[in-house]
Amino acid sequence: MIRLRLHILSSLAVLLVVLAAIRASSGAPSPKTETACVSCHRERSESQPQTPMGRAMALPGANPVLRDVPKVAVRKGPYTYTVETREGQSTYSVTDGTRTITLPIPWNFGAGAQTWILEHNGRRYESAVSYYPSIPGLDFTTGDEDLKPQNLDDAVGREISVAEQKVCFGCHTSNSLVNGKLTLESLRPGVTCEHCHAGTSGHLSDALNGDFETLPPDLRKLSSEDVFNFCGQCHRTWETVVRNHWRGELTVRFQPYRLANSKCFDGTDPRISCIACHDPHIDVVRQDSSYDGKCLACHSAGASSSSASSSDLMHPRTCPKAKSDCVSCHMPKVKLPNGHLTFTDHQIRIVKAGEPFPN
Amino acid sequence: MSDITGTGEIFIDGRGRESISLALVAAYLLLFCFSKSASAQANPASFSDVVARATAARDINDVPQAIELYRQALKLNSQWADGWWFIGSLEYGTGAYSAAEENLSHYLELTPNAAPALAIRGLCEFESGEYPKSLGDIERALALGAANQSRNEKILRYHEALLLTRLGRFEDALRSYAFFSREDPNPELLVAVGLAGLRTPLLPKELKADEQDVYAAAGKAALDLMRRDKEAARPEFQKIFERTPAVPNAHYLYGYLLYASDPEEAEVELKKELEINPKNAAAEVMLAWIPLMRNDGSDALPYAQKAVAEDPSLASAQLVLGRALTETGDPKDGIEHLEKTAQLQPDNLEVHLALAKAYSKSGRKEDARRERLLCLEMTKNDTAPTTHP
Repeated sequence: MIRLRLHILSSLAVLLVVLAAIRASSGAPSPKTETACVSCHRERSESQPQTPMGRAMALPGANPVLRDVPKVAVRKGPYTYTVETREGQSTYSVTDGTRTITLPIPWNFGAGAQTWILEHNGRRYESAVSYYPSIPGLDFTTGDEDLKPQNLDDAVGREISVAEQKVCFGCHTSNSLVNGKLTLESLRPGVTCEHCHAGTSGHLSDALNGDFETLPPDLRKLSSEDVFNFCGQCHRTWETVVRNHWRGELTVRFQPYRLANSKCFDGTDPRISCIACHDPHIDVVRQDSSYDGKCLACHSAGASSSSASSSDLMHPRTCPKAKSDCVSCHMPKVKLPNGHLTFTDHQIRIVKAGEPFPN
Repeated sequence: MSDITGTGEIFIDGRGRESISLALVAAYLLLFCFSKSASAQANPASFSDVVARATAARDINDVPQAIELYRQALKLNSQWADGWWFIGSLEYGTGAYSAAEENLSHYLELTPNAAPALAIRGLCEFESGEYPKSLGDIERALALGAANQSRNEKILRYHEALLLTRLGRFEDALRSYAFFSREDPNPELLVAVGLAGLRTPLLPKELKADEQDVYAAAGKAALDLMRRDKEAARPEFQKIFERTPAVPNAHYLYGYLLYASDPEEAEVELKKELEINPKNAAAEVMLAWIPLMRNDGSDALPYAQKAVAEDPSLASAQLVLGRALTETGDPKDGIEHLEKTAQLQPDNLEVHLALAKAYSKSGRKEDARRERLLCLEMTKNDTAPTTHP
């Protein structure tokens, strides 16, 4: 008990120091906010930055992916691409044999496979090639395989509109959008606490005054449909995918879309929300058997549907084949067309041999 | 009128819609003649003879004689579908739109999914001023593949957009005109796009001569923005705002078209529209739509409520109110508005997307699934992504 009190007191002391610093600053979320979160939410605040979401973007000098790959190159048609890293600074070059464009890499997107946003002639581009650890090496950026550059400037990559930049930076960084405007001066790499938990700064300020009642909205209280739309802001909602006419294997990247296509999806049943299976504060669990309990929460003899309107799931079907490793059959792994990235298909279903990828 | 083999190109040769429509008939007729022959008949001797004479008259471009002979052949055999097609399409070429419409209807009774006949009948109905019927036929013709050649597609999409404007479906019309954003525009196209953009339910020919300029300027600015040339569009719009500051819907049009690339800038223009025209329900709808697309139902709700109060018959107003209510924790009332909208616009994808979400949030799992499957069905042929995934 004494140790617990000491821990609370020391946490409060750290919190007060950090909060004083925040108070002195502009009030906008800052790295200090995260430091402050640690004082009360230590476990999550320490594990989350290590997750792929926490590492969704890296600034020059802090990119572990390229740090271990000093030089990598690939030839694509008439163009040769080279990414070179020296003393933490990376450059991206493309040459047609006679002329070469070399650009510094200011923004590294992705914790594993990596794509770069580049600046060239006052415009921003998504790099034409990306780094894929599975090769390991460079290949066309996923979705850009069909680009047909007309000249060396075109070959740098795909020009991205301000609206698309907002989506890229909005999801891979924190605090890069202020009042809807792209504000790269204030960005912090990756998804930080404030990115999902809006109102953290207010909560901290109030805490400084001894008020612990003004808490950020509790995301655990959202319905499955709302969680799925919340996470879908970056992982893409069902609506976004349909509205944009995205089809085929590429959609396996968009888990909320795939999940909502599942027959068992129920927007009011907490057993089938994103956070029923995944804790976003820790790295994604790769062991199939660890999800068995989630599936059996519905698909076992004693379980029933939580939705009064459901008829087929009043008595959810149980699997006649197995009672473990459910996801290994019902959520197959799907490779993207370029073969370099594999995703778990969240469209839960009875998979039949030879059936085409269901849209 | 004898130019039935004309090759007039829409918006390029400046000869207007008539020569274009004739070109469409000619193209379909040629295709038809190659693929069909007049064979099975009830009274072979006299029927064959009449058909042969009709074909000969058509071949030498003696249209009145050909029409008369086809009429005689059809008296001998009214089940001869091809005869109705020939007579209907030839009559369309002579400008006898009502007769052509009637004869093409006989043809369509015998061959209901004939896209070229639906297209020509739609054009006849357009000329006769039967706009809702015309739009129905042209949309069905497009769905059945009538836009099989670039020239045909231009003709049909242009008429579709004209009709959508005439019937007050301005945003749908602008979407149709986006097809022409890469074309070299002629004056009629500029005015037509301007009419849709400034939400004026008229055809270009119905506009007074002294009103053309502002519509042409709005059409030019809109087409610039449709091809994402913001730099060209901005001064065009500024000129309109300076010359005719009170013109209704100009700021709305700018805001509406800016929305895809810059929602914040769009919001500014839409609010300017409301300063000029406080009862503009369409601007209220867009001002509700922008926060809805960033999952902010609370910001959207007041605009949506005002839009419905201004114009309860506006389907898009019912849609945004339904969505805003759903997002702010009242999916049951939201569903009521959305179901109303679905009755008004059963083919509107956005209504079904909203219904899927509202049903899902209110625990109506099967209804949500039905709406989702419907959305997937509605979009299954839309293969071209609208944005990069």
